[in-house]
Amino acid sequence: MDVRNDPTAAEAVETFPAPPRVRPSRVWGRRLAEDRAELARFWPVVQNMVVQELRVRYQRSFMGFLWTLVNPLLMMFTLSVVFSTLMKMDKVGGDGGGSYTLYILAGMVPWTFLAGSIGEASTCIIQNEALIRKIYVPKLVFPLVRVLINLVTGLLSLAALFLLLLPIGARPSPAMLFLPVAVVLLFAFTLGLSLLVATANTFFRDCGHLVGIFIQAWYFATPIIYPTSQFEERAWLFWLNPAFYFVEMFHAVLYAGALPQLSIVAIAAALAAVSLGIGYAAFKANEDKMVFRL
Amino acid sequence: MKTRWFSDSEGRGRGLRRDRAEAPSGPLVELRDVSLRFVNYSDKMFTLKRAVLELLLRRDRPVPNSEFWALRDVNFRIEHGERIGIVGSNGAGKSTLLRMLARIYPPTTGTVTVRGTVAPLIEMGAGFNPELSGFDNILLNGAMLGFTRKQMLAKVDAIHEFTGLREFADLPLKYYSSGMYARLAFGVATSIDPEILLVDESLGVGDATFRAKATERIRGLMDRSHAVILVSHELSSLRDLCDRGLWMHKGRVVADGPIDEILDAYVESITNPAPVASPEPEPAPAEVIG
Repeated sequence: MDVRNDPTAAEAVETFPAPPRVRPSRVWGRRLAEDRAELARFWPVVQNMVVQELRVRYQRSFMGFLWTLVNPLLMMFTLSVVFSTLMKMDKVGGDGGGSYTLYILAGMVPWTFLAGSIGEASTCIIQNEALIRKIYVPKLVFPLVRVLINLVTGLLSLAALFLLLLPIGARPSPAMLFLPVAVVLLFAFTLGLSLLVATANTFFRDCGHLVGIFIQAWYFATPIIYPTSQFEERAWLFWLNPAFYFVEMFHAVLYAGALPQLSIVAIAAALAAVSLGIGYAAFKANEDKMVFRL
Repeated sequence: MKTRWFSDSEGRGRGLRRDRAEAPSGPLVELRDVSLRFVNYSDKMFTLKRAVLELLLRRDRPVPNSEFWALRDVNFRIEHGERIGIVGSNGAGKSTLLRMLARIYPPTTGTVTVRGTVAPLIEMGAGFNPELSGFDNILLNGAMLGFTRKQMLAKVDAIHEFTGLREFADLPLKYYSSGMYARLAFGVATSIDPEILLVDESLGVGDATFRAKATERIRGLMDRSHAVILVSHELSSLRDLCDRGLWMHKGRVVADGPIDEILDAYVESITNPAPVASPEPEPAPAEVIG
């Protein structure tokens, strides 16, 4: 008989909300190793979810998957008409470069990826409640899927942007070879924030409402539809905005046709690392409790 | 807080069984001092405001006014080749235990160790996407159970054969009838060969013919699994299929032994409601902590 009748057994106090405590590095080392194995095992699930989601999105439409490319093209066309024709802003002062349209599009692509990922990640755990309560899937999969879907859309937008480069009066430059680095840094930054938001919103449902508003405010605080040069002596304020560095990298490469400043890349890399670290730690520390809060 | 979850199923070639003749090392499943607490947060909203205030003021958090120990001090191990039947009244924690073994719930305290791939026949059709075709859902569900696309493609034919839904394979799942849905879910879930099989009582799927096929299929699956844990209210089938019984009451394991003894004692306790005849004195009901 293998039964213990000891009602005094461990009354573990659930500390909540558990601050992302710095635990012995060994614990985190094991978690990282476990996660790598888990994600490798569940990679087909991630793949499947991303592909199916994109497929379902355009399932019954006449143009089908072509929409993923046509959609951003039309979007950009609209934006360029609105901003260059209606608002009569043709040139951005400062670093020479192409048209204002190009400036906007170059900032819009990374921003859409960032904002879309965070917005979708905030509800991803709650939306997959049925799944989480029925079958074991590592919970990291859900935010990762949301970010990957947005990454695919973002990359297709980037491809659409390249198709538009010549018509809007820009020329490809060798600096564009830097683009993959910028995308990787942005991806890491976004994934970290997404993990953080997904965790927060699972425990505090109020967050979901705040996230939308916050993203909107952040959008206007980031130089996407306006150039930094408008602000002259107060332009340093942008240095306080983490998104600024990432958007600026894309501006430099796509709009100015030059490599971004080293300081900007360095800060972006640091921000990406910090974001990913905090997001991962927060997510993992609370992962086990999520199923009880759905 | 000591909460651990170990599983080395990852290393086992994505659900493919190794050689059956291989000597098993240690128990397949081991639970040590496992307790699981559910806290009902919905009646007392745990809001951001409260959390921030508590963090700032370093106030002791008030004990949530409804918490419930679904499992308490559960200890058992399952060796290679055992077939375990779990009995108990509603709310005894049987299904919760199965879900814990399927890694859905982490233990609040204690350790759960599971060695081997687990096939949960607990909730059918978990992870089905109604927008996708039956075929795509087979692949998706297979991936969640730990199989690659290639391995699943090899099984698709057999699944169609079993469910008889081949002609609907390209139809989105949302147009399936509930019976077809259940058949497909059952077909996928039982198409894998697990080391540890978890079965919840909900075995009645579809019409009579299908049910007969389903029962047969489950028995086949049980024969091929290293260990089986079966939760059911049908005592006769438990007696038939299992060799070891586990009697649960209010989250505790009150008795553990040969299936016949356990079932006899269980039936006895149902027919004579007085608290007698359990092989071990029944523990006091879980008191509310706090």
